[in-house]
Amino acid sequence: MKPLLRYITRRILFFIPLFIGVTALTFFMVNAIGDPVEMMLAEVPGVSQRQIEMVKKFFGTDLPIALRYFKWLANLLHLDLGVSIYKGKPVLNLLSTYGAQTLKIQLASLAISLILSIFLGVTAAVNQNTKKDTAIMSLSLLCRSIPGFWLGLILILVFSNWLMFFPSYGALSSKEYLFGSRFLDELWHMVLPTLMLIFFDLPAFTLLMRSSMVDVLREDYILAARASGLGKKTVIWKHALKNAIAPVIAYASYTFGVMIASSPVTETVFTWPGVGFLFVDAITNLDYPIIMGVILILVVSVFIASLVADILYVIIDPRIKLE
Amino acid sequence: MLIRRYDLKLKSPIKIRIFKENSFWDLAWKRFKRKKLGLIGLSLVLMITVMGIFAPLLALYDPNDQSALIYGPGSYAPPSLAHPLGTDRFGFDVYSRILYGARTALIVGILTAILSSIIGIMIGAIAGFLGGQTDEILMRFTEAFMLVPSFVVILFLVRIFNILSPKTFLGQIPLLNLWIIIFVLAVFDWPPIARVARSQFLKLKDQEFVEAARCLGASNWRIIFNHVLPNALPPIAVLSALEVGNAILSEAMISFLGFGDPHVISWGQMLTFAAQDMQVAPWVVIAPGVFIFLMILGSNLLAESLSDALNPRLKE
Repeated sequence: MKPLLRYITRRILFFIPLFIGVTALTFFMVNAIGDPVEMMLAEVPGVSQRQIEMVKKFFGTDLPIALRYFKWLANLLHLDLGVSIYKGKPVLNLLSTYGAQTLKIQLASLAISLILSIFLGVTAAVNQNTKKDTAIMSLSLLCRSIPGFWLGLILILVFSNWLMFFPSYGALSSKEYLFGSRFLDELWHMVLPTLMLIFFDLPAFTLLMRSSMVDVLREDYILAARASGLGKKTVIWKHALKNAIAPVIAYASYTFGVMIASSPVTETVFTWPGVGFLFVDAITNLDYPIIMGVILILVVSVFIASLVADILYVIIDPRIKLE
Repeated sequence: MLIRRYDLKLKSPIKIRIFKENSFWDLAWKRFKRKKLGLIGLSLVLMITVMGIFAPLLALYDPNDQSALIYGPGSYAPPSLAHPLGTDRFGFDVYSRILYGARTALIVGILTAILSSIIGIMIGAIAGFLGGQTDEILMRFTEAFMLVPSFVVILFLVRIFNILSPKTFLGQIPLLNLWIIIFVLAVFDWPPIARVARSQFLKLKDQEFVEAARCLGASNWRIIFNHVLPNALPPIAVLSALEVGNAILSEAMISFLGFGDPHVISWGQMLTFAAQDMQVAPWVVIAPGVFIFLMILGSNLLAESLSDALNPRLKE
């Protein structure tokens, strides 16, 4: 385990300057536009200069930019991300409540896509160059070309407006829960956003699973296993799958890490109260504490996801060595 | 099959056969023609190009014509003979706006693909050709860029530049927001191209024709641009074709979220309003999305068969 530990330490050491660079750049760019407090109060009639100064002092925007950035870093050390200017709530609280909602649909989609893609990918690879394979492949390629946000709108149109099976927005009913149960109501609201995400994840996973499985099936040890009298099913599902699944798992863990990337669009379409929705709102209003918070999560989660993906590779396939 | 034969009938009693060798692109086109999917992709892209170029001729109304509100069937009119795809909330003719939207999509797709290819080829060529420490640094840089989920950052940058640049001399430029989107997309989409360009340059730089050029005293730049680059282009062309579709999708999503250029007619922007009016006028949602889909599908199919046509050895 020692080389693993050394590897992780080295990656973290490389990450620190990158982290400071990205957050500093974001911070200065947001603040280069102008004082967010002044911009917010400019729309409110009858605010005196003295009141503006007071609000500025409260949010700390009266200090020089560099000093504010260092203050932000120092506060970060005890997990204080500041207070949202528009929502007036601590950013950490906002991120955790909105983040939980994002996590909910993204995890559901990831789990379903992963299971289905194993099944579809293996089926396509085993029946390579047959009708089944062509059907699965061309469907996957077709789904990849559908613009996700438009698909979301069509899902709303069909399942919500016409058939009225599922709600079109929000994560929870405001009046009455479905069948009086909060859990069922949450599930009910999750269906359409999750479906949209599956359309995004599943084709990529399936194509990867197929190409990886095709490579593995060509290996000599598969032939050897078959020759030694093992059944076709056992060889495919036990021997080949174990080796073929590594890249898919690694890719899935990376997708999980960068889930914020696909969340602004999905969550705007379904008015889903998640991080992406929060972020789009924040950049419209230039609410810089939230922007900083989201960029922070983004940078950290990308880092962790790529690290976990690398480590997973080594655990699944011991032949690969960490550099 | 590789050689086309010409029989020349000369006046002399001796029959001479001249063999003309086909060029690389001739052969690629031959292989490309054989694949049905590639031709479908090509015709989809061509169809949308024609739509964009001849938009003023094909359109029934000016894209900013709101006369339907007063003289026509009003806003939210369902498809009819006068308005083949209906009208939207402002009384605009959806069909005419789709045609003009094709222009925006093509401009964004093609310019972004060209810009990101230039950046990618530059960085990949320098890294692959010079090698050593330069290669190491440039490739770390490229990897860092690849890891970033660019869409969130692009959204943020587009918004920031949209506010900042009108205050500077850039404010004079018409359709500034559109250029900003193209620029930011290109800045984030070059890494895959750089990686392929680098591997091509690594492979080609030790070949005899490069040595020959060097013996004749050609400078590094001359070798890179005149000798290696033409040979390295085929796989790069595949990625550039993919980039056209990617850029169009990104622009549509940026516009959909409300950060696009308000002075430009874009399919993504049409969907923003359509999404709000979906209950009343579902046809406004369907048309722009179908065309975004067709354009992306076209460019994906084109790229897929280009890679088959240009690298015959890649697939068995």
